[in-house]
Amino acid sequence: MFRALFCIGLALLVPGLVAMGVSLCGGPVEWFTDTQTFWGVPISLFVFWIGLAHAGTLISAAFLVLNVKMDRRTALLAEMSTLCSLAVAVCMPLMHLGVIANFYMVAPFWDARGNISNVRSPLVWDFCCIAVYGVLSLLFFVSHFCMNPLKDDLPTVAVARAWIKKVRRPMAWILFPLVLWVHSVVSLDFASTFVPEWQGAFFPLYFIAGAIFSGLALVNFLLTFENYRVRVLEKLTLVCSWFMCAFWVWNFIINGNFCVSAFVFAGVLPQLLFVEWVRENRYACVSLWLSILLGMLLERVYLVSPTMETFGWIDLGLVAFGAGMFLVTFYGLRRLLQKGIEDDELLMGDVDTVGEALDSEFEAASRKYFLPLSTPEYRILRLPVLCGILVAILFSIWTFNANDQVNIELRLVNVFPLFGPIIALVAALILTSRALWTVSRKSVRWVVVSLLVAFAGACGAFYAGGSSVPEKASAETSSQLLDNVSVVNVVWDSRCATCHGIDGKFNKKFVREFYPVPQTLSLDRLDSIGEDSLVQVILQGRVNMNSYEGRISEGMARNLVMYMRILAERDSARASSAGEDEE
Amino acid sequence: MTPLMNALACLLALASARFLWRDKVSMLKESLILLGFLLISCFYTFFAADMSLVQMEHYPFRMLALFLCFSTTELPRKRRRYLVLAQTAWLWVEFFAGISLFYRGLDMPWIRITAIAGIAFGSSFLSRINREMEFCLMVFWIAIWVFF
Repeated sequence: MFRALFCIGLALLVPGLVAMGVSLCGGPVEWFTDTQTFWGVPISLFVFWIGLAHAGTLISAAFLVLNVKMDRRTALLAEMSTLCSLAVAVCMPLMHLGVIANFYMVAPFWDARGNISNVRSPLVWDFCCIAVYGVLSLLFFVSHFCMNPLKDDLPTVAVARAWIKKVRRPMAWILFPLVLWVHSVVSLDFASTFVPEWQGAFFPLYFIAGAIFSGLALVNFLLTFENYRVRVLEKLTLVCSWFMCAFWVWNFIINGNFCVSAFVFAGVLPQLLFVEWVRENRYACVSLWLSILLGMLLERVYLVSPTMETFGWIDLGLVAFGAGMFLVTFYGLRRLLQKGIEDDELLMGDVDTVGEALDSEFEAASRKYFLPLSTPEYRILRLPVLCGILVAILFSIWTFNANDQVNIELRLVNVFPLFGPIIALVAALILTSRALWTVSRKSVRWVVVSLLVAFAGACGAFYAGGSSVPEKASAETSSQLLDNVSVVNVVWDSRCATCHGIDGKFNKKFVREFYPVPQTLSLDRLDSIGEDSLVQVILQGRVNMNSYEGRISEGMARNLVMYMRILAERDSARASSAGEDEE
Repeated sequence: MTPLMNALACLLALASARFLWRDKVSMLKESLILLGFLLISCFYTFFAADMSLVQMEHYPFRMLALFLCFSTTELPRKRRRYLVLAQTAWLWVEFFAGISLFYRGLDMPWIRITAIAGIAFGSSFLSRINREMEFCLMVFWIAIWVFF
């Protein structure tokens, strides 16, 4: 069965990769982009997959925090689904950016050119939150394999339980709010914009509910193929479907939006779980979980691109890419970790029956007198969290100073959403590094050290900024594309329109997210700057604009300047005819 | 929303809260009660408030959070944990809704946020929650709801 699912994944991934390749070459013009919101299928898929990525770790962490019993197999599969969904999700905004090499500009640091991203933008918060969430989910997942009671050198179940108490449970206390924080921040990408359909102060809760609901459906879907059922997860899914319906009703009252297909697939059909035959039948259950996933996907598409009516082949290809990549990575990873997943009966959460000895030991410890700031709870969890708070405060002081230098006015509320991921990252790193260091083998320690060095290298790469000089071949090819307006049009749409807009009047929504919007390139302004200066700006770059030298020839740059003139003339003619009509 | 209707919303939450943890705890029963209260809050907001005010967009969810806070006083066990969690949920609703409204030109309700955060933080240190303490907490929550 797993091999069949892996093959289905491969079958979906191949056409998906073709669509991905075409999208990467052609840029944002290749997929459907909503005329009202400027966002399209990649962002819909990002929101959908990031939602799926939240439930796995959330379920595992929340159950551990609330002492709900859950077997480790379910926890492992759920956390694995988080990692695989996250891998799919991060591909989507990278593609949406158009210029993938510039993704590092979203990180809230200076780069070597003196640019700093706009910390006021929820997209910057998004980047930080998701990056931290990915790292911590990976650590949480890896921590399973450091307490494996089946290994000869780590002998007893008691060791595993002590590991849960000392590492996994405090880690769960950090991850539980972080997951909710991350999805609340994702919702602010929408709720803080000027698009009327997205204006809702309830969006953070709405998005969290949607993420949990779709993620639960995914985990149930995966468990069904394991020939395995967790009734509490099924009940939770049912409950989430009710709350989603309540959110849809409220959204309809506030914004007048209602996605009927999502309501049918994800709101009405899940109620069939009340029918015993459906609950007991494997195929019926799979159909139900798929119905929920489809409904939630349609809801995300409707939310992001309200004017979208049909999917083009590129859009469908991107959907196939997401599903294919998930199935291939998930079942690839599952095969790799098969032994650890299947030969294990350890219960997470409530440990009162088997771990009586340990419990009494902990109880005795709780009665013992400790000097101030020396209790186990303080050392394990509160101290790392306090360190995280300190780092977050230092970061905000630095950010205020840095933004002050480039005359960007910041308020506390602009920086506060970054506090959550910073505190969580610092606390979790302190918490796990010590524990992992003591249990890991020498070779593993070297791997960890190498990873840290690689991380430092990545930070250096962020600082230096990406190279804007491509290979000679592409420059030579572009020098042949002269004097053809349709070719210039294609180059404009694929290279310039992401920021400057297809009509040359700026894609303001996109630009505003990162930088202050510059002056519009009107006819007068183009004349005042002059053709040669504009060609130099294109080739050498300026402030936030990249250098295109080597990527396009000087002739093509001149053609682009002429094309900008054509667009400005069109705009000026349109403005004057509108003025005459008014008169 | 008028102060009277705002106070009535608080009373509604207080009156309904005692039904949540009554009898045997079951996930479906508790969820149905929560859902029922949420729907009642939605309709209450729709009929009692001026829906052109953007502050009303998350009003039912604020009511739900207050309802959860009140209901924790009925819990027989692990009250401190759920008390802190319920207050954090309220803080969450206020904070993220505040950010979204800030970007649409409204000020953040810092006083309300600080007050809830203060109580949530303070109550995490409570070793024993007796009847007097319950009453005290309820008075605090009502004061935050009505005055801030």
